[in-house]
Amino acid sequence: MSSLKRRFFLCLIGALAGLCSWSAAEMIMVFQKNYPSYLFFSIFLGAVFGAIIGGFFGSSDGIIMKGRIMRGVVHGMIIGSVGGVLGFLVGQGALFVAGEYLLHSVRDFRMIGFPVSRALGWSLLGLFAGMAEGVRSRSLEKIRIGIIGGITGGLIGGLALEYLKTFFPDMMLGRLTGLLIFGLVVGFMYGLVEARLSFGVLTLLNGRFRGKDFLINQRRIRLGAGSSNDVDLNGYRNIDERHAEITAKRDELFIKADSGDSAPVYVNDDKVKDHKLKIGDVIKIGSAKLLYHYK
Amino acid sequence: MKKYISIFLMIITLVFCRISTPLLGETVRISQIDNTSLLINQNVKLYISLTDDAGKPVKNADQNSFSFFESADGMNYIPVPDVESFSAMANYESGINFMLIIDNSGSMYRNLKKKNGSASNTTKIQQAQNAVITFLDSVSNPKDTVGLAAYNTYFRKMSDPVQDKEKVRGYLSTIAKPVGDEGYTEIYASLSKAVDAFREIKGRKALIILSDGENRPYYPNTGKAHTDYGKKVFRYTDPIRYCQEEGISVFAINFGNPNDKKERHLKEIAVETGGTVFDARDQSELESVYGAIVNQILNEYMVVYNATMEPADRKYVKVRYESGPVTREAARFYFSSTMFGMPLKKFAPLLLIPLLLSLLLAWLVSLLKFENTRTEPSLEVFNPGQTRAVTKMITLSKGKTIIGGAKSADMTIIGGVSRIKEKHATIVFDERKKNYTIVSDGEVKVNNKTVKTRVLESGDVIDVGGATIIFDDGKK
Repeated sequence: MSSLKRRFFLCLIGALAGLCSWSAAEMIMVFQKNYPSYLFFSIFLGAVFGAIIGGFFGSSDGIIMKGRIMRGVVHGMIIGSVGGVLGFLVGQGALFVAGEYLLHSVRDFRMIGFPVSRALGWSLLGLFAGMAEGVRSRSLEKIRIGIIGGITGGLIGGLALEYLKTFFPDMMLGRLTGLLIFGLVVGFMYGLVEARLSFGVLTLLNGRFRGKDFLINQRRIRLGAGSSNDVDLNGYRNIDERHAEITAKRDELFIKADSGDSAPVYVNDDKVKDHKLKIGDVIKIGSAKLLYHYK
Repeated sequence: MKKYISIFLMIITLVFCRISTPLLGETVRISQIDNTSLLINQNVKLYISLTDDAGKPVKNADQNSFSFFESADGMNYIPVPDVESFSAMANYESGINFMLIIDNSGSMYRNLKKKNGSASNTTKIQQAQNAVITFLDSVSNPKDTVGLAAYNTYFRKMSDPVQDKEKVRGYLSTIAKPVGDEGYTEIYASLSKAVDAFREIKGRKALIILSDGENRPYYPNTGKAHTDYGKKVFRYTDPIRYCQEEGISVFAINFGNPNDKKERHLKEIAVETGGTVFDARDQSELESVYGAIVNQILNEYMVVYNATMEPADRKYVKVRYESGPVTREAARFYFSSTMFGMPLKKFAPLLLIPLLLSLLLAWLVSLLKFENTRTEPSLEVFNPGQTRAVTKMITLSKGKTIIGGAKSADMTIIGGVSRIKEKHATIVFDERKKNYTIVSDGEVKVNNKTVKTRVLESGDVIDVGGATIIFDDGKK
């Protein structure tokens, strides 16, 4: 999958996450008065909401890479639910305090006070939901990407929801639109920020996954055959399970052969042990060829 | 039938009794509402002030005289689930915020008669300024803040509530005699404006109005629109409502002479907001203003109760005080909106459809194969660089394939950083070895190495004049 397709795909996954979480949230909220407290209500709603958002985004890598989808979904749901609970609690707490303040200080409460305080809560929610994938893959870079994508997505989605509600009070599906936008923007921002903050792209040049891009968005990328690798080259010949590793030091990338002579790594047809990569380098691992470039 | 009539009569009697309850006795008021621990332990804290018709705090009221209700719409109230604590003499440590507003209309420049009826030789405005100074001198809690404003036709705020009392004293001398159309007295509008000055301030708030008691609004008297309020006519209930919403009590200091036209609603505004009226001709009363307010606040009741879960953006709280024939109620609201806002009215099974639909779509997406389906050997321009790639992609034949600048070439690429020859490179298929070899005429790089001739492997990167071309043998 190319980078552009990947971004489109992330938007799609985000929108689906928005749709799914909307319907779940509505079903939970209908029974608000049956919950014993705001705390319990927020925790439950946050956990379900976060689990859905996390589950969908957790599936994305698995869908793109093939395999380990369910693992990604489960991890995403677990981390997402934790993030969702934290986001909901922090957001709701801030909303109560800010709302009470704005309720009394801002004359035009419906136009400014309400939407802004609510959108701030949403962006906190987005922050924690967006971090899920980064926490899952234990990558600070990805956490950073998720934070930026999540905050922006939450803020834009929240504002969209509130203003749609303000301007079209009769619109039944304001919250659905808001959540769709929320998911879409989180996905879009994630894709955008991911590309911006990456060290470049590895594109597979041949074989069955030809054209597939691997964003270098972590400081350490493992290449090999098998799902424990970040660049899984299963289906190509002569590849070890731990074949090579790319590491980022400051802004420079290095490729290192992991298992010595039995699993050689070539850069521009030269066998290398530990090599500094430059843009345009052609990496050969087994029968797979990858081009390192910027998008 | 008789039974129904008697029930009907009973109801009528009850309703009538209720209405005929005299507007005397205690005033109950929610002076502060605190929702900061709502999320953590479902608690809302209320400070309740209970005053008699003279504005004096009612002490030792029984907890059972109070009942508490919440409402999502301000109309239908339900009792709160539980009152966790009720305490008299609620402590105050954070200080009180005062806003002093001085009547600066023309009538304030007449003399104030003394209590015994003789005219004093100072004007009412001078006496009002003295009263402010007396008040400032009596403020004893350093955390108290005082703000100052004057009003006639216009409301002029001189100082927001600040702790520096000397600063406020300094502003007193800037009050100048009204000229031109400033001679009207907008009491209700000015009180409402003073509430605005108070909105952003948290904690206990008291408004002190020094007035000789005639509301003479500009627009109804002149027929001309007011520069600030337009044609809006403020009613005395406006400041009452605003003050009640913000938990502000109004204390009035009356500078009216016995035979002046009285502002009959000023007392009502004060009493309804939990304040009281003082007489300026009585020096000892003036000196007791601060003490009376502090005393009132020190004698508030603090209630902590469990909030209901009724969905609402703002939730109304009502306190009902019943003592003998007297029933008094006061309501305020607090912010109770949740992250996603108001729920749907009732559960709709249709909601399951988007849930299932999204899961189904995600499953379908997961079935998509992002795999390369081409099986033919091919050349594809991956990145044209600075060239113009006329041909983007070709399938390789089992013969010779020419890459070059000529229109007749199999893959035409023109421009570029270095000159591209008509027949820049040729790719030849070897029938016996079943492989492709590149033979260059111009400068060609394969995998970043300049070559003359080279057997191509799948995935090799060919550079022709800066264009990046990928060779793929089509095998999986």
